[in-house]
Amino acid sequence: MSTSFLENFFITLILYNLLVAAGISIYGVVARPSITKKIISLTILQDTFNILAIFLGFKVFSIPPVLLELDSDIEKLLAFTTSAVDPLPQALVLTAIVIGLAVNLFLIFLALQVFRLYRTLDSRKIKELKG
Amino acid sequence: MDFSLVLLALFSTIGLIFTYLAVIEKDLVKAVIFSAIQSTSYVAVLYLLRAPDIVLVYLPVTVGLYPAALLFLVGKTERVEEE
Amino acid sequence: MRKYFVLVSIVLATVVIAYITTYLRALGPIGLDTRYLAKLFLMLTYNPVYRELTAMSPEAVTSIVWDFRGVDTLYETVVFYMAIIAALTIYRGVSYSSIWGGYGLSLIVRVVTKLLIPINIAIAVSIAAHGHLTPGGGFQAGAVLAVVSVLLAVTYSASSFIKLGVSLSKAVALRSAGLLAIALVVFTPIVFSALTGVQTYIMQNYVKIDSSFSFPTHVWNQLISGTLIWLNLAEFLAVSFGFFIIFMLLSLREEVVREQIGEKDEH
Repeated sequence: MSTSFLENFFITLILYNLLVAAGISIYGVVARPSITKKIISLTILQDTFNILAIFLGFKVFSIPPVLLELDSDIEKLLAFTTSAVDPLPQALVLTAIVIGLAVNLFLIFLALQVFRLYRTLDSRKIKELKG
Repeated sequence: MDFSLVLLALFSTIGLIFTYLAVIEKDLVKAVIFSAIQSTSYVAVLYLLRAPDIVLVYLPVTVGLYPAALLFLVGKTERVEEE
Repeated sequence: MRKYFVLVSIVLATVVIAYITTYLRALGPIGLDTRYLAKLFLMLTYNPVYRELTAMSPEAVTSIVWDFRGVDTLYETVVFYMAIIAALTIYRGVSYSSIWGGYGLSLIVRVVTKLLIPINIAIAVSIAAHGHLTPGGGFQAGAVLAVVSVLLAVTYSASSFIKLGVSLSKAVALRSAGLLAIALVVFTPIVFSALTGVQTYIMQNYVKIDSSFSFPTHVWNQLISGTLIWLNLAEFLAVSFGFFIIFMLLSLREEVVREQIGEKDEH
């Protein structure tokens, strides 16, 4: 069994779309001046890398990793094993999303505190200020 | 031919377009909304990648909680990003 | 217009480079098969034959999260707990009960929200309680319930939390109760071992080759998958009230916070 040219093209296109989106959001984190914009870009960067991790476990003509019938028939279990996608990246990404949310909310609180102290969220102006 | 690949390519392209718009936009409220649209298209991508668990956690987090928290931040600080 | 020109050229360049890569077959065969480890996890997620190895849950992701790689998730829960403690530290000295809130949004929005909130809570509880059978679990249910706090803070006002009787100290107590429940489930095998002398492991779920300790897989003929349902429910409590704390603090008006933290305006 092998994939056709068109299927190969679409899989490659999905991969490159995700990589280019990650590149654009890295530009947003590094080069945009506003701290709020940096946080928005950081959330997009996390999203793209989480999806890239899940994409590693993907295969064509597959089903989700959830068993639908609860009987001990070994033939059905073998069929499930060969047709489902990889559950391990999904389990790791699941916790990564929730912890990423908690850490990003902490970053938002830090940005609020920066605004209370410096009266601006422009990173170039913050660099010039003292104290 | 696995038809879900076509939809996957389509939705990931929409995600790429709105990532660019969110990063480049000067008005931060608009940037948050573009980021929410990008997240919605990524929800479709995750569903088509056969990850229903991640869809359930990703939908409330990135379409509900992130925009809300970021809009609170923008409302309490400054709205326009200066060049 | 320069913005859209750049956008169109980025999208077109991605498509062209993807086509060239496919034409040259540069990536090799992709998307055809999963790894051996994935097959192992899928084989053992619900397998009544190999009772020493299985997690007895038809949901492969939940069984990896709380059984096969359970200690990972335990430490990640602790990281989550500490991140919210750090956010609370920035708001130290702010007393939540002294605020006087605004009026919220219009009557139509408030009535619709009042109808939506019970539905939202019911969905969250059902996602948590069925986490070992269908897609879902503690993290997902906690994120769904956290939306309720955003709805309350936006449509009513910050003072609606006080009217409903949800104070900051209550929310902290409830999420600590969730973490304690997880610790209780994790240490139960050790306590059992101390009492009876049977060899057990920390965070053990079912019988192992050299240990006869096991949580029940079925209660009244219903599959509960040993520790998985308890850990899902406890995680649901910890995650949802953690986010309640964050959005209660974020919805406070800035003048109130400045006044109470006592920062000067000269900066």
